[in-house]
Amino acid sequence: MDITEQKAEGATVLQFSGRLDGTNSAAADTKLADAVSRSPTLVLDLTALDYISSAGLRVLLKAAKQAQTAKQKLLLAGLQPSVKQVFEISGFSTLFATFPNRDAALASLK
Amino acid sequence: MLTCAEELLLLAHDEKSGQFANLQDLLMNTALAGAVLMDLALLDRVDTDVSSLVVLDRKPTGEKLLDFALNSIATLPAKTTTIDALDVLRKQGNEIERLAIAQLIGRGILKEEEGRFLWVFESHRYPLIDGKELQEVKRRIASLLLSDEIPDPRDIVIIALAQSCGLLRRVFSDSELRSMQKRIDQIAKMDLIGQAMTDMMIELNAALTKLLPYG
Repeated sequence: MDITEQKAEGATVLQFSGRLDGTNSAAADTKLADAVSRSPTLVLDLTALDYISSAGLRVLLKAAKQAQTAKQKLLLAGLQPSVKQVFEISGFSTLFATFPNRDAALASLK
Repeated sequence: MLTCAEELLLLAHDEKSGQFANLQDLLMNTALAGAVLMDLALLDRVDTDVSSLVVLDRKPTGEKLLDFALNSIATLPAKTTTIDALDVLRKQGNEIERLAIAQLIGRGILKEEEGRFLWVFESHRYPLIDGKELQEVKRRIASLLLSDEIPDPRDIVIIALAQSCGLLRRVFSDSELRSMQKRIDQIAKMDLIGQAMTDMMIELNAALTKLLPYG
């Protein structure tokens, strides 16, 4: 799994690629916690994320909780069908504002 | 920090009798199996998705109860299903319960008293020492269910467990539970092990009902 950071339209965008699971969740957790702590608006671009496990869901859950506590915005974009299915089964789709792609997520901030 | 299995037992504890709620063994053992599996997931020893369970790390956790659980699933292939892991652990339910009670005694939360039932049969009571840990679990559950707060992973686990074996009735009245049911369901489904455990309990319950006369 790889996470790259960019700035766009005043937001921080983290682009995930590969698989987010128990083998890399600790590293993703650290990276995400750091990004949430310094970004009032964070977009997670999951277009290139092929797979997410329970450990990966917990990483996103912790980030969502951290953002909620700090009253910051955390948006998700580009969920692939396999990831979307896990979100729907686990009810995670009710926790996040999700958008079809990064541009749509950024446009919602204007 | 208490394990999820210990928190589950605390919720099932009856303060008057010093015993645990009279749940059917099969269901309690399944809930305890789910609890230890969730504990192992929170410690990154196992990982799951909607269909499979992977043992990531067989390194001991330092908790007797969880190391027993980790060893119990060591016989399974590295990639298996959550249902298979629950099935292996469910069969070890009595030992998991014994170890969880021993941990609660070791942490100074319960004490053990021996006595006699009908002057003949040996019986054990486990009174709470001061009950503050149980109050803390109940407070966490109530605070989460009565707010729109995003739950943390441990809170999802305890709500999934308590919901699956009816222990939320020990925290809330029937009318309170009815008014919170949507929120309870929303949180309980967030844990994939919890979902598999609930499916297993529904099947076991259906099988038990068939076995009962006129069931």
